[in-house]
Amino acid sequence: MKRKFDLYAMTWRLPIIFWQLLFFVGPLLFMVAISFFVVKNYRMTEAFEMVNWQKMLSRGYFWDSYWYTIFIAGISTTVAMLLAFPASFALAFRASDNLRRWAIFLLIIPFFTSYLVRTFSWYVILAESGVVNAMLGQIGLGPFKMLNTHFGTVIGYLTLTLPLVVILQTVTMANVDKTLIEAARNLGCKPLATIWRVVLPLSKTGLIVAALFCFILSFGDFVAPFYLGGSQEPTLPILILDTTKSGQQWPRAAVVAIMMMATLFTIAFAAIALAYRKGGAR
Amino acid sequence: MTEPLVTFRNVKKHFGEFVAVREMDLDIHAGEFLAIMGSSGCGKTTTLRMLAGLEAPTSGEIRIGGDLMNEVKPHERETPLVWQSLALFPFLSARENVEFGLKMRGVGKEERKRRALEWLDRMEIGEFAERNITTLSGGQKQRVALARSLVMEPKMLLLDEPLSALDANLVIRMQAVLTRLQKELGITFVYVTHSQSEAFAMADRVVIMSQGEIAQVGSPKDIYRAPANRFVAEFVGRNNILSGTVASLDGETVTISTPSGAFVATAPDTARSVGADATFVVSADLVSVSREEPTGENRVLCTLISEEFVGSMVTLFLESADGHEFKVQMQERDLIELDLHNDDQIWLSWAVQNAHVLDHE
Amino acid sequence: MNQNRTLNIILAMYVLCIFVFIFAPILFSMVFSFNSQRFPTIPLGEFSTEWYAKIFADPDVWLAARNSLIVSVSTSVVATFLGFCTAYSDFRYNFRFKGPYLALILLPPTIPLIIMALAMLAWLSKLGLSGQLWSIILAHSVLTAPFAMAIIRLRLNQMDPDLEAAAWNLGSSEWQAMRHVIIPFCAPAIVSALCLTAAVSFDEFAISWFVSGLNKTVPVVILEIVQGNIDPQVNAIGTFVFLTSMTLVILAQVFFISRQVKSHS
Repeated sequence: MKRKFDLYAMTWRLPIIFWQLLFFVGPLLFMVAISFFVVKNYRMTEAFEMVNWQKMLSRGYFWDSYWYTIFIAGISTTVAMLLAFPASFALAFRASDNLRRWAIFLLIIPFFTSYLVRTFSWYVILAESGVVNAMLGQIGLGPFKMLNTHFGTVIGYLTLTLPLVVILQTVTMANVDKTLIEAARNLGCKPLATIWRVVLPLSKTGLIVAALFCFILSFGDFVAPFYLGGSQEPTLPILILDTTKSGQQWPRAAVVAIMMMATLFTIAFAAIALAYRKGGAR
Repeated sequence: MTEPLVTFRNVKKHFGEFVAVREMDLDIHAGEFLAIMGSSGCGKTTTLRMLAGLEAPTSGEIRIGGDLMNEVKPHERETPLVWQSLALFPFLSARENVEFGLKMRGVGKEERKRRALEWLDRMEIGEFAERNITTLSGGQKQRVALARSLVMEPKMLLLDEPLSALDANLVIRMQAVLTRLQKELGITFVYVTHSQSEAFAMADRVVIMSQGEIAQVGSPKDIYRAPANRFVAEFVGRNNILSGTVASLDGETVTISTPSGAFVATAPDTARSVGADATFVVSADLVSVSREEPTGENRVLCTLISEEFVGSMVTLFLESADGHEFKVQMQERDLIELDLHNDDQIWLSWAVQNAHVLDHE
Repeated sequence: MNQNRTLNIILAMYVLCIFVFIFAPILFSMVFSFNSQRFPTIPLGEFSTEWYAKIFADPDVWLAARNSLIVSVSTSVVATFLGFCTAYSDFRYNFRFKGPYLALILLPPTIPLIIMALAMLAWLSKLGLSGQLWSIILAHSVLTAPFAMAIIRLRLNQMDPDLEAAAWNLGSSEWQAMRHVIIPFCAPAIVSALCLTAAVSFDEFAISWFVSGLNKTVPVVILEIVQGNIDPQVNAIGTFVFLTSMTLVILAQVFFISRQVKSHS
């Protein structure tokens, strides 16, 4: 077979390769490169030195920040998954197809609207003299300090992730073969046991993917911890922001970014391995 | 004999490891209605797609009107195809669908419209010309698809199971439409189908394919009465197939002894010798049934096992003393006269000229 | 049975609570934008259009709006073109390294924005392309192309695979079939993709903030106001941003989902 250059095929295949190599792979590889550059007198010069890596990885505040980010993103993921589950369950099994379509339509909207403005709105709502405390005050409670706390950070993360988690959980569970659930009930499985032994195992992959996306989004977000968490305990994204915006320390920010990517890759691979592992002990 | 319109010479088509067409030699003549029949995966659709240029043969030659077509792109051929899925353009009206090919060929707007409407009228769906394709019924879409291909005034029309999506009575009507069109236009139809009834009802010649090879080519009658081999005999409906060894030869006829008894059958003019294996076939509708032992060479006593009714036809399933299954097809009213019951013993018989010895496998 | 019904009601209430949580910030932001108080709480202050008057009088906001418009429209065109090419290549062809090829376009949204922002800033500065409006467009097109790809790919999935071949069979070259069959068939998805990619680009602030230099877009202006102090102007701008994004999203859904429902029935 002769291999001629197929102009038509290449017209559609090549643009994205060119574009993504130049503006996606290029930037990420360059970021790895600059982590070895040095900054002198506020100017970055090309070099190959380990100094940024040594500086960052030997600092206590980096590791504090690292574990705190994993911790708070993990908490937020757990909370989002648990909060979303009953709602997704209801939408998947109790709602009509039409109602479910509408619910998913509504849940897509926030995904394309300004996260920044929504966060600012929470800032006003949760403030010490804000709406929530005013309402609690009416029944003689509070005021509670909600801003600049872990609680504030988690609320911010949830604003970002909850709609996505509900969508993914709902779609996953709606695709579970309903006859299997009926069969389980028919064989005398109690409702909660049915969820635990039938619904969860069957929707495992989708649920893990939902949790993974939730974690990635929380882990990489700087807005919630910055504005609602008060950045007293800086997360890694805030560390990147600070080192980049003040002091032009791009190489050190790059070190943080690479550490974040490595962490996310590890977690993603673990999650995917878990999701596609053949049925467990049960 | 005129030059055939299409010739396939040693055509092979592989998809990676998979062999779709193993070896193909076939002539298609101008003006004939040719059906290519076989079960799914036999290579019939691949053959049609090679004719349309949608697949290139791995080796061999395909010629249309004498020209080598192997490397000719689909859009440079005049081989319109009526698709199994119809493949009508859903964003165009019926008329615009019919105009599509003319537009691609650079025919002017006015003439395009005139010819499209003419064909829609001819297909008796002129009133739906401006309707969106998605609002038409299955039969109407079918007619649009035919008009879209025929408006190109091709020498040859390719049809890939075009009736498979229609319900039974619509199929019968469309068969009539297709045969009439083919006779009126006098062009070649190459019709791919898995349905024996469609192929036999419409085609002048039938090609039966099996596992990428041609099993038999011939008129429907030839294939029906004298299947060339066991595959065709089994594929083409209700045949009784008996195997044994040649007991004696007598010119055109052979006596074959089988576990069910010795039978006389006509043999094609291939050489045979006494003692060789042989198989013959008798069509189920050519077997007679009687209570009294008939005269004639071919008869066997059987036990009635069951009956199957389709319309006014009935198929009897019987078993000979050695356990071989026989099938007999007859009119229901003839059955009533016989007053048969399961487990009754009856005689089957058939004429020598209706028993055909198959080619060696 | 009765127990089942109570459970259903509780579940319905719960779903409602989740939706309230998700939509509360959006609604409050709109309400506060018409509230006279500098620091809104309950009970609400008087109805006021003061904040709108303020932003309309602010030339920086107008400039940012113009920038945002340019960025999101250009981004949507580039991203939709890239997304279309990839979706079509995936639909039509099988080739070696198709997996990595698809990963190349689908991965960017999984990379945290702050990392993309840093990497883009560094790379574009190196190439001398940073600090311009089109720096944002380059970055946003990478970020949003996967959305366009996904939408158009889904549409192509609904296409009868014989349709393109039918066009060739009727005498279209591959290019003509693209123009007369593939593009018309994908048209609704292309419009949806334009709307959605524009909406994502319009709301994106991290990358814009890093690479835009002095050419601020609306989200960057919001970010800078928020960094200063509580300023209800944000609510007024935010309401505009919401209305724009939602209009785009709803348009996208009308074009895409309605077609999908139709083609299923």
